[in-house]
Amino acid sequence: MACGTTSLWAGETSWFCCGNAWGPCSSAGGGACGTCRSASYHGAWPNASQACWDITRPDLCGENIPRRGCGSVMNVRHQCSGATVCITITDCGPRTKSWCGEATCCNGACRTNRVLDLTPAAFSAIGNLSSGMLPVYIYE
Amino acid sequence: MTAHQGISSAVGRRRFLTRTVVGGATIVGATALGGIDADAAFAAPQPSLDPAFAKSSFVEGRITRIDGSVLQVLGSHGDRACVQLTNATSIWKGEPTTAAAIDTGDGLYARGVPMPDGTVAADAVWVNIVNMATTIRGIGKNRLHLSHGHHEIVGNVFPGTTNASYAGQALTSDLSKLRIGQHAQVLGAWRPSDDSVDVVRISVGH
Repeated sequence: MACGTTSLWAGETSWFCCGNAWGPCSSAGGGACGTCRSASYHGAWPNASQACWDITRPDLCGENIPRRGCGSVMNVRHQCSGATVCITITDCGPRTKSWCGEATCCNGACRTNRVLDLTPAAFSAIGNLSSGMLPVYIYE
Repeated sequence: MTAHQGISSAVGRRRFLTRTVVGGATIVGATALGGIDADAAFAAPQPSLDPAFAKSSFVEGRITRIDGSVLQVLGSHGDRACVQLTNATSIWKGEPTTAAAIDTGDGLYARGVPMPDGTVAADAVWVNIVNMATTIRGIGKNRLHLSHGHHEIVGNVFPGTTNASYAGQALTSDLSKLRIGQHAQVLGAWRPSDDSVDVVRISVGH
């Protein structure tokens, strides 16, 4: 399945590690879908399943994010630079409810609430890992 | 350097790497571009790389050997890679730094352009960087006890250097509002010597 151009969502993305890894990430495992790898263009979606939704609860931040399960593909675009990366959903996350109202901005425009987690490979394709967060548009 | 110069340098650096790939040349170290930070490299839309070559490469793993400006990397899935540093490579290890700070045994993420000789010419390298969803289990004078999954991690805190964000507010050096039991996102630098993490930024939510 190819990445599309239909708008799906917008918000903040963070990054996380998964699969075999070094350091504290060594215990991360393959994620909710079992196939997640830090060096691949993968991501975690807050509504990858009902069990996932029950943990992340983006609705508590006003984000009624639609269900997109393991294997779904999304195009993620940095709000300001336009840099894009095509990812496959392989995990559940982030825990949106823990950071309701948090905003990440660039060029004076902000995106609110954590709605996506990217692997280091995917995040670094559109931004700087040391920033921790990026404002993005998500397409499918 | 002005912001505009920074953007120009960023684009120029990627063009430099692209031309190097297209021309089949070998990067030997110094460039006239100078090092810039990775944020600046994404401050403007990037020029497309030659479609004959992959847009970018990503390397992950532990550094097993350092040969001059080349890092030998053993990936976590058993793959091997060589990362070529140049004067245009931005390097992060707890903070923006230089190649001299990189040690054998460090963990690494690198982004760059694949070269004809199989190496990856890096435009950004992050050494030992971690970004973890944790829960605060204990608070000491200069350390935090964190749980990450089923593992306990010591987070080293440096007054004046470690910053915190509370409920989405701006970063502050005031760590006094951290509480046991809070969920916290920790961005920091892993220490291979004792498996602890130097906390650069800790974000706690609601």
